[in-house]
Amino acid sequence: MDDLDRQLVEILSTDARVSNRKIAADLGVTEGTVRGRIKRLQQDRLIAFTAITSFGLENSTKMAFIGVLAEVERVREIAKRIADLSTVNAVMITMGRFNILAICLFNELDHLHTVASDQILSLPGVHHVETSIAVKTVKYDARVVRITETDHIIDNDD
Amino acid sequence: MGDDFIADEIDRAIVEQLRLNGRATNQQIADRLELTAATVSARIRRMEDENKLRVVAVSDFSAHGYNVLMEVAIEVDGRPASEVATELAAFPEVFAAHLVTGRYDIDMLVALHDFDELSDLMLNKFSKVRGIRSMSPAIAVDIVKYKFDVAPIEARTAA
Repeated sequence: MDDLDRQLVEILSTDARVSNRKIAADLGVTEGTVRGRIKRLQQDRLIAFTAITSFGLENSTKMAFIGVLAEVERVREIAKRIADLSTVNAVMITMGRFNILAICLFNELDHLHTVASDQILSLPGVHHVETSIAVKTVKYDARVVRITETDHIIDNDD
Repeated sequence: MGDDFIADEIDRAIVEQLRLNGRATNQQIADRLELTAATVSARIRRMEDENKLRVVAVSDFSAHGYNVLMEVAIEVDGRPASEVATELAAFPEVFAAHLVTGRYDIDMLVALHDFDELSDLMLNKFSKVRGIRSMSPAIAVDIVKYKFDVAPIEARTAA
């Protein structure tokens, strides 16, 4: 990424709905350049455009960390199965206190219990789950993520 | 402020379209949902003004040059956990910090460009924060999924 890419990302990470024409005028480049750069950044999976809603708009209001101890030789397969759960927002294979970390959003405690103790703990090869609930978020940046899937539509307007 | 905002079916349908493509024009969304572009525009503006919605570009860890991600659980001793968390959150390497229930008091995510940065972070930065009894890391060796479209939203700083 060069300076122009970084400036583009800076603008779009505040508001993705700014027109190419306005961005072009602000940065002193042509609309075609803006369009081409955005498309390339999307294709390289460096950025994606999405809607982030606050905890309040959804019913899911709380975040929990679920540490999972799983059999090492099956860890990748187990992590994939946990990632398939729609209430689980993040899954990492880790080295440390446990070997999978799942981050989950939930609205009622019994939903969290269902995810952790029923859905995850019952997977073959999972030995232990440890849940910790975030009661207060001190810092969080939802704009930096891992863009893995191609489920975002790549901009190809005009 | 804004706590009494209730999203209706139309709001949710618009948000769903924006999650797929945040750059879709008001007219494209309106056509898909059988609304007018003016309605779409007004609904989006209302949710944004209430700090319930942001339509943004999200960027990949690699776009920022972050190659190391780890979760660190912290036990606090002799100081309110919220004070320790606030101090830790001030470091740019601390990407997220939450006060949590359970055996540990703070759970945070740390992002680094490479492992060489870890010694400076531990020895010169974290070691200066009072009240940390222990830190237990879990280093991410593979990120299978990492996607948050629901998150706390801060009010925009007045333009």
